[in-house]
This record gives sequence, structure tokens and C-alpha cells, in this order.
Amino acid sequence: MQQQQMEVNPRGIPKAPFVENVEDHVTVEEPVEIVLKKFQEATAKYKFMEMNHLTRKSNLDAKIPEIRKTLEMVQFLEIEAGDEDDAKEIETMYELNDTLYATAKIKPTGKVCLWLGANVMLEYPVEEAAELLASKLSAALKTLKNTEEDLAYLRDQITTMEVNTARVYNWDVKQRRIARAKAESSDAAGLD
Amino acid sequence: MRMLEKDEEEGDIQVSWQDQENINTFSKYNAKLQDLEEAYEGKKTEKEYLDDLAMELELADEDEPVKYRIGEAFVSLSLEAAQERISKSQEELDQEIEGLKSQMDEAVEKMDGLKKVLYARFGNAINLEKD
Repeated sequence: MQQQQMEVNPRGIPKAPFVENVEDHVTVEEPVEIVLKKFQEATAKYKFMEMNHLTRKSNLDAKIPEIRKTLEMVQFLEIEAGDEDDAKEIETMYELNDTLYATAKIKPTGKVCLWLGANVMLEYPVEEAAELLASKLSAALKTLKNTEEDLAYLRDQITTMEVNTARVYNWDVKQRRIARAKAESSDAAGLD
Repeated sequence: MRMLEKDEEEGDIQVSWQDQENINTFSKYNAKLQDLEEAYEGKKTEKEYLDDLAMELELADEDEPVKYRIGEAFVSLSLEAAQERISKSQEELDQEIEGLKSQMDEAVEKMDGLKKVLYARFGNAINLEKD
């Protein structure tokens, strides 16, 4: 394949070359087998990238509802704590263990503790916690959108490469058939 | 992919860049439609749950606190507050379902249009059906 200026998408994924005319890509130096092999390699690379993106997407799909649930609870506490001294106790049932719940009476204190991962928990005033979670949620949603865009872009490149491969292969089959027909007819002529 | 028949091989299929774009767009809409259908089913099930809940609550005792699930834990709410939350969730879900449905309809429409163009261009040399 000629050395062309590789276009890339915003995340740096190269654009697949499009075979306008099969003869342009198949030369004596680069016979059909080599071209097909290169196309296969490129298709495999794109498919690998697609798999990575799909994994990332499913991770995000799991994380986003988690963030939403936490945010919902924090917002609820924010509303309850808003009454300050008049705040009544909240009676809640929380999950102590799988299928085991325990009752708790909570007096809204205006502070919540957020689990940040890696065995770290930090106390925040309720409003800050709500802000933090909201920004985490919007960051996750943005990454999800980018990942979905990349996936669509990768789909395009894979389809283009597959169409390229099919056309080069068909062209080759046709060439062989023509060559065979010529050989047969010249044989027939030679026998006369 | 399948092997072409002898007579199908004859045509030298020239694929222009426009054709490639059409094929790519079709493929994208196809993948998107599958995702949308999945999400749509999920939201419909959720809506059914909420509708059942709303009905149950209508029959519930006025003074009994309702354990409403927020996040991972349950909170005791008054019947009124719980019903309010449920109707808010129902409204949001309705909107999301509307949005999904219209996106799905758009995708199907575009795909049908592209199918006509691509079949006219390539005839037997292309397969656009869901197998």
C-alpha cells in the first residue's frame, strides 16, 4: 500500500485506506497475497481495538448506574438535612450483607462519607459530595460518549477493510480465470 | 460471507467512495439499532415495575410508612412522598422511552432508504439482511 498521510480520529485511531481501483494497489512488487495479508493484519488490529473499546464501554455501563444511585441518596440527604435543627430522623434499612438488611435511624448531620476506592473514605459536607458525584457522573458519561463514537468509527474502518479485502480477492479470482481461459484457448490454438 | 455463483462473478463490481460511505453508514445504523432495542426493552420492563408499584401503593394504608429504595438502601417515607417519587420516575422513564422509540424509528427509516440505494447499485453482490 502506498505511504499516504494517515488520517486519525480525535482519539488517534488511523483511518483505513480505501481501495478505489484494485490495480493501483496490486503490483509486481506487491502481489495479491501480500496485499491480502496486509489487509488481514489491519482488519485484525481494528477488531482488537474494537474489543478493547467494548470492554471499556461495558465497564462504564456498570459504573454509571452506581454513581447515579449514590448521587440519588446524597441528594435525598441534602434535602432532609436542609431543615437543619428541625430535621427529623430518617429510618432506613441498609444492606448489612447479601440479603441481610439492618434498620438504622439516622439524624441528618449535613456530612457524608464517600468511598473513593483503594480503601479510602473521605468525609464531605453534603453539598460538596453532591457536586463531586455530579461531576464524576458527567465525566463518566462523556467518556462513554467518546467510547461509543470510537466504536462507530472502528466499525466503519473494519467494514471498509473487509470490503477492500473482498474486492481484491474477487479481482484476483477474475484475473486467474482470465489467465486460465487464455492458456486454454492458446493450447487449443497450438494443437491445430 | 458466501461463495458467489458463476454468473454472479461476471460483473466487475466497482465500488466508489460514495458506495463505501453508504455501506459504512448502513453498518453503523444497524449496530446502533441493536443497542437501542436492548435499552428500549430494559426501560419498558422498568416502567412495568413502576406501574405495578403505583397500583399497589394506591391500595396501601395511608398511615403506613413505605420503605422506598434510594440507591442501595431503603428509606421509610410517607405514602405521599413515595407516590410522588414514583410518579416522577414514571415521567422520566416515559420521556426516555419516547426518545428511544423515535431514535429507533429514524434508524429503521434510514436503513430502508440505504438498502434501496445499495441493492440498486450492487444487486446480488451485497447482503443487507439480518441473519
